[in-house]
Amino acid sequence: MDLRKRILRAALARPAVLPAVCPGATEARVLLERELRSRGWPLAAGPATANLLVLVGRPDPARMDWCEGLWRAMPAPRARIVIVSPEQIARGLDAGAAALLRPAAGSPPLLRPGARPEDHLHGAAPHTSHEGHGAHGARHGAHETHEGHGGHEGHGDPEGHGGHGGHRDRTAHGGHEGHDMLMQVSGLPMADRADDRDGLRLDQLHLPLGPALLDWPAGLVLRLALQGDVVQRVHVEQIAARAGEGWPFWDEPWLRAAAGEEVPRGPAARRLCAAHLDSVGRLLAVAGWPAQAQQARAARDTALEGAPAKALVAAVSPLVRRVGRSRTLRWLTRGVGVLDARTAASAGVSGPALTAGGDVWDRLNVWLDEAARAAAMCEETALLRGSDLAGPRGALGGPLPPSQALLDVLPPLLVGAEFASARLTVASLDPDLDELAQAPVAVTVAHD
Amino acid sequence: MTDATSPWSVLVLPGVLVLAAVCAATADAALGTGPGGTRRAGLPGREVLRLLVQQRRTTNASDHLLLRVGVTLLPVAAVLAGVVVPLGFTAVSDLPDGIVWFNAMEALAWAAVWLAGWGPNSALSMIGGYRFLAQGLAYEIPHMLAITTAALGAESLRVGAVVDAQGGLWFAVWMPVAFVIYLASALAMAFWGPFDQPVGSDAAGGAAAELSGVERVLFLGGRRLLLTVAAAAAVPLFLGGGHGPWLPGWAWTLVKTAAVLAVLMWARRRLPVLRMDRYMEVAWVVLTPLAVLQALVVALVVLGR
Repeated sequence: MDLRKRILRAALARPAVLPAVCPGATEARVLLERELRSRGWPLAAGPATANLLVLVGRPDPARMDWCEGLWRAMPAPRARIVIVSPEQIARGLDAGAAALLRPAAGSPPLLRPGARPEDHLHGAAPHTSHEGHGAHGARHGAHETHEGHGGHEGHGDPEGHGGHGGHRDRTAHGGHEGHDMLMQVSGLPMADRADDRDGLRLDQLHLPLGPALLDWPAGLVLRLALQGDVVQRVHVEQIAARAGEGWPFWDEPWLRAAAGEEVPRGPAARRLCAAHLDSVGRLLAVAGWPAQAQQARAARDTALEGAPAKALVAAVSPLVRRVGRSRTLRWLTRGVGVLDARTAASAGVSGPALTAGGDVWDRLNVWLDEAARAAAMCEETALLRGSDLAGPRGALGGPLPPSQALLDVLPPLLVGAEFASARLTVASLDPDLDELAQAPVAVTVAHD
Repeated sequence: MTDATSPWSVLVLPGVLVLAAVCAATADAALGTGPGGTRRAGLPGREVLRLLVQQRRTTNASDHLLLRVGVTLLPVAAVLAGVVVPLGFTAVSDLPDGIVWFNAMEALAWAAVWLAGWGPNSALSMIGGYRFLAQGLAYEIPHMLAITTAALGAESLRVGAVVDAQGGLWFAVWMPVAFVIYLASALAMAFWGPFDQPVGSDAAGGAAAELSGVERVLFLGGRRLLLTVAAAAAVPLFLGGGHGPWLPGWAWTLVKTAAVLAVLMWARRRLPVLRMDRYMEVAWVVLTPLAVLQALVVALVVLGR
């Protein structure tokens, strides 16, 4: 027995962490990432390899189903913790690691045989909410699709889909009607087909992306209709979170200044630098360049720790050199997710995406340039003017938060893109849903 | 003059390969980012242990048979490909058409990744499987041309004969294009480093997204073995095999294999993931003609001597 315990302890000395981040919890998320890096605990790409589920922020208690889906999809030994404020991180992780070693964590029942593999990616949709009830289990199973070929949307249970994209599907393509007569595999209907871009009739997959994906904007759910790995339709949703107190983390200095507080330029520049480096880190991770993504995140943490300007510049400039001059990355991201300046402006986009007025590569370089400039300015003491509302995602204080405009331009950019390009496009716009969660707060227009 | 060994060496081969792969993974982890990207996964032994204590997990309506075949096939294919790769001058079996055998065995990876991606009945893992098929289409033709060039240079499909032909000049020196293409396709074949899109983190792990526990160890371990075998095969094919001064043949093989692995690991740090929608064009429009040209040059040299 003792040997068993020792093996378990050695095996779980560095548990793999699956973070489930709610909108409004950016600060805690960033600090969690830093803590995990310093502990050397790996992040899990999905529930299959995760040991510890870390819920970051305050989810809407009535809409916790997506977290439940994640939890059910994790194999034992497993544990889960909730982190609301930054100071809970270290203690929470320790508690989680301890819980993993308790016998209960190693004992059954894991994944219900009927649970869907994609539950972890499911969004706020109510159609996962009845999963927990045994009574609905069988019925749910009958409605599931063989998602090797087909999706959930449209087959799901009608009340669950009310108000969601599912119904739009149903009317969008007529082939759906004959659906019940199609073949079934293990009680699941076979895939649905639709015309693809080349005029072929191909299987259609319905895949919800988010909210718990690595390197993905917290709270965002994209419901995709895919053929092969080409996106045919997109529906944007977001998960609900309890409205938190305080400002969106990345926009805080500007919103404070707008509200009449005295905010020096230095800390604002520091925050902008960190926000862009965070976005750069995500984009590089999605682009499959983990070594440089790591660099970007380390630089972001340097910025947030309040390092002197010289140290911050020294942390940012190698990144600008390596990434900004990478011909390979340029070749890979040129022409992906093109958002020209005119379209951007008419959709109300401001900030880096408008400045770049181009593709993923352009936006990445605007981030890098602005981060480098901000790094040099991070010790300025002059005050931020209340009218200067250029936050990391764009102009604050307008009728809509800048990230809303970024979300609005997403669907046309994604339709027709391949899965990998679609993820690059989302990461290169990096909408910050914190801004939406607290939208009413954000619109304190400055009088100056 | 490569000797074939007694049959019991078949049992030793997997052990040697696993040991080499573990050494490579340990060196890799110690130098910084481990497998899984930004996540320092710690020492590989510990990571394997972590996965081994995980309970089994199944997904709804998954095809267990295909999944298991796919997951098991990957390490098996790697070991089978390793049968013809000599350590020094001794391979488990120096088949008369060893190069064809090697290529056929590594092509099993196509089936393995596709089955492992299809089996769990999950969209993301299927996307990963599809990605590997696209990758296969991109790398396989230049790859076959590259190893054919080595065979052409030795006028034999026997790996031992290829080694013997490099007693003087290494093939890497006078067929550099084929050598570089071989290295790139070795990475692609093991879907590793800049070619790891089939298990990319953007698709939550792609073909490996739903794998946990033993299955994951077999699949990702199999990938490591494949990488090690592909690196080890570069030695007899292009780097003179066990030929070299002072040291015995087996030591030269180890040193050269380690050097090739180091280059492959360095490539991962230097490059972002190459997406096949971009790389395909390079593979077909640039690499394939270059490989044909290289083969032509080598053929002319062989005819002329």
